[in-house]
Amino acid sequence: MVGVADMKVSNQQEQVLVTHALGSCIGVAIYDPVARVGGILHFMLPESSLDPAKGQENPFMFADTGLPRLFRECYSLGAQKVRLLVKVAGGSQVLGNQEHFQIGRRNYAALRKIFLKNNVLINKEDVGGTRARTLFLEVATGSVWIKVMGRDTIAL
Amino acid sequence: MSLVPQVLKSLKTLPPFPLVAQRSLVLLNKAEVSIQELVDIVKFDPAITANVLRISNSAFFGLRREIHSLHQALLLLGTQELLKIIIASGATRVFCRATPGYFTDRLGLWRHSVSCALMADLLARELTLAERATSFTAGLLHDIGKVVLSLYVDQKFTDIMAVVEGHGVSFQAAEREVLGIDHAQLGGEMARLWDFPDRLRLVINLHHLDKPEAFADDMVLLVYLADLLVLMFGQDLGADGLAYHGYPEVLRHFRLRERDLEKILLNFGSAWQEAQVIFGLMGSDDGLQCAHS
Repeated sequence: MVGVADMKVSNQQEQVLVTHALGSCIGVAIYDPVARVGGILHFMLPESSLDPAKGQENPFMFADTGLPRLFRECYSLGAQKVRLLVKVAGGSQVLGNQEHFQIGRRNYAALRKIFLKNNVLINKEDVGGTRARTLFLEVATGSVWIKVMGRDTIAL
Repeated sequence: MSLVPQVLKSLKTLPPFPLVAQRSLVLLNKAEVSIQELVDIVKFDPAITANVLRISNSAFFGLRREIHSLHQALLLLGTQELLKIIIASGATRVFCRATPGYFTDRLGLWRHSVSCALMADLLARELTLAERATSFTAGLLHDIGKVVLSLYVDQKFTDIMAVVEGHGVSFQAAEREVLGIDHAQLGGEMARLWDFPDRLRLVINLHHLDKPEAFADDMVLLVYLADLLVLMFGQDLGADGLAYHGYPEVLRHFRLRERDLEKILLNFGSAWQEAQVIFGLMGSDDGLQCAHS
């Protein structure tokens, strides 16, 4: 179980990592199929400059402090950057115009910016819209799927 | 075909709103509440008394010494905090029904309601509004209509979702289109039956700001905003997801910028963790909490 502003990495083959009910937060699942190591980060806000003290206390709160930690922890379990599969879910928005209540969109933009700078490609994603998503990662196989609240399960 | 007559008929089997909580609602509006008045209201309800003591002694309030009596709890926490606990304890008896159509988890609506109450309380503090206990209560009860509407939403879920996705309207508007009535209107009806104070009924009825008069009361706007922020936070989301309208005029009204919203979410994260004792009010150990209709 990965909570809000939380991260788990694992090489325990029997485990399934899950993070529940993503709203405007974003869940990032990465997996190395050779080392069979994976992790999920559930971050809440784009930038730690909002409150640097909180970012230091809990780096998983923000995209800019959480993403480096996710990758580093997976490397320390033997994952290699070139082999990593990256999947992203969440970043939902309420209905309305493009200027207000845009935390989901800004979360996604922050993630894209960090990935671009570090040459990380997103393999699959399911972001935006108004859905509530729960994200799963099976450590043994690297399968990633999402469950949309009240509806179907979708492989990612 | 409208389901309205059927929905309204099902209100006849509605259990009563717990008397202790109902009487506490009225006290929210009073400037001075005497300690004796509160003790007299609560003392005949052992389950609520037990909850008051349990919550008062939890880390949520971080009091240094142990509280053994209602009197002590009142002196240390103050009447407004106490009213919040009493109302939340009482409300569990209404929220203990499953709400398929909105939540697969039996406690889903309760958790969303508590989240919204905490957010409304936090917003009231941020915006330096005086009525924090009223904000908490209005946040807690805003979705009460879902308790009854959920069965109908469950039956017509596919149709409602098709309207949401096809027309880009809110889940509430889609409920109204498919069922003839939405959870806010129905909640307003329930508030009338339960004899809630007028202002609380108004908040419940208007909390999605679908009528112009909604913009006349800060409390309506506050609960609306709290609801939206809780949806964005995510944790207690239902099948309706975030399919509600974001009105920028509310942000202007409270002079909030996007960055302020981020800060509020940040603070809410900690408040939400600390308040798990309130989420836990609902039925794990004692079946006493549930009234049978």
